[in-house]
Amino acid sequence: MAAADAATRSRIADPGLAPAGEQRIRWVARHSPVLNRLAQARLADGALRGKRVAVVVHLEAKTAYLATLLAEAGAEVVAAGSNPGTTQDAVAAALVHRGIEVHATHGASPDEFVGDLLAAADFEPEIVVDDGAELTGRIVDLRPELVPRLLGVTEETTTGVARLRALERAGRLTFPAIAANDAWSKHLYDNRYGTGQSTLAAILRLTNLAAAGKEFCILGYGWVGKGLARYAEGMGGRVTVIEVDPVPALEAHMDGHRVAGLDGLADADVVITATGGIEALDRDALARLKDGVILANAGHHDREIDVDALRPGEEVRPGITRHELDGGRRAYLLAEGRLVNIAGADGHPVEIMDLSFSVQALAAHLIAGGGLEPGVQRLPADLDREIARTKLETLGIELPEPSEAQRAFLERWTG
Amino acid sequence: MDGLSAQGERKIAWAASWMPVLNRVRDELREDGSVADRRIAVILPVEPKTAYLAAVLAEAGADVSVAFQGAMVHDDVAAGLAARGVAVFARRGSSHEEELGYFEDVLARRPEVVIDDRADVIRLAHTTHPEVLETLVGASEETTSGVVALRAMEADGTLKVPCVAANDARSKFLFDNRYGSGQSTVSAVMDSTNLLVAGKRLVVVGYGWVGKGIARRARGMNARVVVCEVDPFAALEAFHDGFEVLPIAEACAGADIVMTATGVRGAVPPEAIDRLPDGALLANCGGVDDEFDVAALRERALAVEEARPGVEEFRLSEDRSVFVIGGGVVVNLSAGEGHPVEIMDLTFAVQALSARHLLRHAHELEPRVHQFPAELDEQVARWKLDALGVRIDSLTEAQLAFLRGWEAFA
Repeated sequence: MAAADAATRSRIADPGLAPAGEQRIRWVARHSPVLNRLAQARLADGALRGKRVAVVVHLEAKTAYLATLLAEAGAEVVAAGSNPGTTQDAVAAALVHRGIEVHATHGASPDEFVGDLLAAADFEPEIVVDDGAELTGRIVDLRPELVPRLLGVTEETTTGVARLRALERAGRLTFPAIAANDAWSKHLYDNRYGTGQSTLAAILRLTNLAAAGKEFCILGYGWVGKGLARYAEGMGGRVTVIEVDPVPALEAHMDGHRVAGLDGLADADVVITATGGIEALDRDALARLKDGVILANAGHHDREIDVDALRPGEEVRPGITRHELDGGRRAYLLAEGRLVNIAGADGHPVEIMDLSFSVQALAAHLIAGGGLEPGVQRLPADLDREIARTKLETLGIELPEPSEAQRAFLERWTG
Repeated sequence: MDGLSAQGERKIAWAASWMPVLNRVRDELREDGSVADRRIAVILPVEPKTAYLAAVLAEAGADVSVAFQGAMVHDDVAAGLAARGVAVFARRGSSHEEELGYFEDVLARRPEVVIDDRADVIRLAHTTHPEVLETLVGASEETTSGVVALRAMEADGTLKVPCVAANDARSKFLFDNRYGSGQSTVSAVMDSTNLLVAGKRLVVVGYGWVGKGIARRARGMNARVVVCEVDPFAALEAFHDGFEVLPIAEACAGADIVMTATGVRGAVPPEAIDRLPDGALLANCGGVDDEFDVAALRERALAVEEARPGVEEFRLSEDRSVFVIGGGVVVNLSAGEGHPVEIMDLTFAVQALSARHLLRHAHELEPRVHQFPAELDEQVARWKLDALGVRIDSLTEAQLAFLRGWEAFA
């Protein structure tokens, strides 16, 4: 699509911001060696040519680069944000300048946000690269007539995969859905190191406070929670984990963290939610917090911290609102309870998204090739390993091959 | 109050709410009147924490003026500070000539005490503005590099006023230089690049307190840390802290990120720069601007381009670029907001008490570099523990007696 055409069809804040967005996308391109190699080695075979692809992931530079590569591989691409708080208007403008149709503005109202998603739906995508199943869910719900056009979807997040499985249980997932999140090349790195580094960095940047000696209380010890705990410790914090599942709770214990019930909130200096659910920090939990606590969300939903249960806040620094709690206590909420690493900073580190979006690119490519069964499925292991191997190659790391004897030993079933 | 100064005031207020020790010092200064109507110059980066130090002194009745180099000035904070009645001579992006003018403006106000950074203004007073020394009672120095300069002045007999090495207070360097620089420089690198630290080879040049903090926090972010040193003790420490130790040219050959913390100009020699791989990032975390020579890079580069806000690409050959963060100026201030607030709470409690100490006792002090008094130092640490609600033990009479005893063990 020509840039002018893309511009007329798009809804973005300001096309004039394109140069700043372009600079950010170029930086990403430079630090995405895996995507760059796979674009040559895998995406260029024509499978994506003419395919209609909707990319509905936090609209910042890394996502924009993925959209660009899919377009360069011949796909017709539309992009929309997966969260109004995380859309970067400059990046949206640069994408339009690159000839890609975009429906997203930073701070879009709920109505505008849904309108943007429906615009992406009405693009009649055959492939959806989704985040939180935001678009897939709405196509199934609100545009059922478009479902037959779907060759498949590929989903970025833990939360979205859970939603797709719920759709499957309800018998409404009539198309292939690749749980990109569940690929090793994705969740082992993105959820853990990506969220860990970027969340900690965002909290420090927004507050200009010291991590050293602070009591961090982390709600949820999935991959994200594990990363948060590790990086909080790495910056000199002390970590308490609150979990509802006994298995990760025991992991947290063996990782050397204090594991507690909701009473663990009482001495927290910083509370970070990473449950993937809602109301992890509800009215009852808020009642337990001490004066001056910092609240941040690292999970998918804006609703992990029950912001409605807080009284209206006053902005005390960019990205920080102060809320009065009962008994004269105050809480400082970061980025309005939205995903703090994206809403309050630049999101995951580029190299992490290089891996995650390589999964998405290969998943989209696989869907384009056809032949997949309906239902939630993993990215085939050989593709997953290829991504990890490519990353190692770009790092100049070579792996030894197991010997024949070692292979034979592992394949034997007798001692 | 206009928008800019209102925004600055909010930033200052945020800092104030996380500085319990400085607030306690403020209450004491207000009560004892020790700085009332005294002229104090604060030569520190104009950002929210320093602004609050200046504001605290002003609230206690001092006549305060502030100046600093433009790369480390936040205009909104400068405006907010001016609204609090402090004389501010600073502007983001000021030229070197302007900065010299600003420092001269401060000196023209005839400060009795200078809270200095890198001994810049003290040196100016001793060289081109000796008339200032007539009314200057003393100075308190913030940085390791500044203290080094003052000791050099003392050694050759140039130093004419007593100076307190605020940097050498334990409440300062153990926390500010190590944890403050560690967190804020590593954060600044992450914030300005949006790149991953995990798995990166991160070279820390210099293993003083700042280098120790960087190495530790970088490791905390899962970097593979390599340390370069010239001092055998520091190198051995780095080794026993579990870091690889290498000569700088070899370290640079495999570096993804180089962070300098030496306090020495030209700490990264040209032959080390030559060995940096394509894409390497350079960030200066030390108190001297030219720890690596940015001007030389600019001169030899085929092209220089902004890669991201605050990050410049220097194309050194067709297939090799290096990226400088924050223009080679101390990165946590040039590409970030400086040290964490709670750390500066300690440092500035030291500075405020140091200023009071000079105003009270300078006439008894030789024109030399003096330690910050140990009892004040301990008071700052105890007040911080109080504010944190951390309780500690004290020696029992029997333990004290044991420590005082000198007789052979019976």
